[in-house]
Amino acid sequence: MSRVTGELIGHPPVISTAGLTKHYGTVHALTELTVDVGEGVTGLVGANGAGKSTLIKILLGLLEPTAGRASVLGHDIEHEGQDIRRLVGYMPEHDCLPPDVSASDFVVHMARMSGLGASAARERAADVLRHVGLDEERYRPMGGYSTGMKQRAKLAQALAHDPRLVFLDEPTNGLDPAARTDMLRLVERIGSDFGIAVLVTSHLLGELEQVSDHVIVLDGGHLLRSSATGEFTERTGSLLVEVVGTETERDRLGEALAQRGLTCRPRGAMVAIDPPPPELAEGGAAHDLIRDVAAELGLGLMRLQPDRRHLEDVFLEGGTRA
Amino acid sequence: MPDAPLPGSRPGVIHDLGYRRFEGAREGSGAIARTLFTTGLRHAYGLGRSGKSKVMPFLLLAMSLLPAAIVVGVVVLTGLDELPVSYADYTNQTQLLVSLFAAAQAPVLFSRDLRHRSIVLYLARPLGASAFALVRWLSLTVALLLFTVVPTAVLLAGALLSGLDTSDQISAALKAVALQVLLAMLVAGVSGLISSVSLRRGFAVVGSVMALIVLTGVVTVMQNIAYFEGDSESVSTGVGLASPWSLYAGLANAWDAGVETVVPVDGAWVPAYVIVAALVVAGCLLGLVARFRKVGSR
Repeated sequence: MSRVTGELIGHPPVISTAGLTKHYGTVHALTELTVDVGEGVTGLVGANGAGKSTLIKILLGLLEPTAGRASVLGHDIEHEGQDIRRLVGYMPEHDCLPPDVSASDFVVHMARMSGLGASAARERAADVLRHVGLDEERYRPMGGYSTGMKQRAKLAQALAHDPRLVFLDEPTNGLDPAARTDMLRLVERIGSDFGIAVLVTSHLLGELEQVSDHVIVLDGGHLLRSSATGEFTERTGSLLVEVVGTETERDRLGEALAQRGLTCRPRGAMVAIDPPPPELAEGGAAHDLIRDVAAELGLGLMRLQPDRRHLEDVFLEGGTRA
Repeated sequence: MPDAPLPGSRPGVIHDLGYRRFEGAREGSGAIARTLFTTGLRHAYGLGRSGKSKVMPFLLLAMSLLPAAIVVGVVVLTGLDELPVSYADYTNQTQLLVSLFAAAQAPVLFSRDLRHRSIVLYLARPLGASAFALVRWLSLTVALLLFTVVPTAVLLAGALLSGLDTSDQISAALKAVALQVLLAMLVAGVSGLISSVSLRRGFAVVGSVMALIVLTGVVTVMQNIAYFEGDSESVSTGVGLASPWSLYAGLANAWDAGVETVVPVDGAWVPAYVIVAALVVAGCLLGLVARFRKVGSR
């Protein structure tokens, strides 16, 4: 199985690790991690303590690996840490903003610390703060910010110097659902519109499914799987149907479909239909059948969609295998 | 007739230019370190920070200038043939203010980044932990040096205005500045290390006050006891190795810069004072580097 993620055609990998290992005494944070990351958005998934933050810190040169090698943007982490840190941005998981400074001043300062001149830093700071959606509040001290605003300021400082790669460690942590969606959309834009490679971590698998081109799954410091998001969430051939009404209506539909030769089972408020038999699989015959049956029963069709596997399923499968 | 506006375009529309890449030149580590140094120096005096944070440093600076202004007035009006206090001794006499300045401002440079964890953002940038710690220390050292050099300059100006011998005064002032450089390095190292370990501002201030003011008081008392009660000159001079201020006073005394100590520092004690001062500075720097590196990797 290829362990290379991302659009690698004609490009060297953005991140490449070989046998990367980190032990803290008896705690094995990372074990023999060999993985390549390409352009676009790559999700790094794992439960808390799976080794996600450790991996990022090693790649930034903040931690020394116990064993193994890695390179970021073609620079070796052991000898060329400074070159790497010139080209990457980092948004840590934890709070890291001084409360008595405004986001505007802080992002300018951080851009300068990455080597931008005074006027370039001001211009870039204004740009990225606009992109992350901090408007008037950018001039207020960050101590008074909501969690959502803090996350945006943290993201802005990571982008201030126009890096070629950003490490985003749990960017959706502590956000409400609306802010979470905003943040994920932003992450997606960074990877596609901004053209900056992204390595984004989360312990919520469903999130990364939405925005990542590729997903790396870590479990207890081990690589569980690394491949394109599409492969994780490939179509299973099953269908999901939902009708207006309660469970009674759901069951009426399910029973009627079962009589017509489809294998059905309830899933929540929906009916899950196993891959239809060959005679119904051609040309959407199954879709027509479901429509007709619903019409006969006088039920309002609300949803009819292909059932995809979720990252969760993959993770659970892998977890039981490991 | 002017060109008709393009279809679909309206005046006054803000266009989203999309993401713009930065193609300009990027500065090297030297320039980044200089920026960090300047910012740190400004912050030590509250410049570029809130109005409130300017009060303490400038109040202390004004207080340390006031006696110098009075001395200058007295010398100019009465026509004394020498300054009533030497340049190096003036710094020694105002040591309480210098120590308070260090205790109050060291947390600004050494505690904030660690307490708020913004140190991680610095260390994820080109400057490493060692460079960061050294630049921070240099900012505080220069801030302290300015704090002691400004009164020295006022005294010198007064001495020259009242017609005292120019070359004598300038060489004495330069001697004092050289001693003040060493003093600033010591005090910045000690207060910086304390502030980087005790992250709560209150504890950091108290810790620095203990190390700089209380310790010096204890050392002076012990020096006096050793000399007057114990009748021992070497113990008295040896105890002087224990605090930055007694190191400064001892070296100033040995260099004939007009500072009185309980027992004159001479002979083999002079290199001992120099070596201990250098070791204290080096130890503080090593401690700072280790501390920043440790916090940055968490």
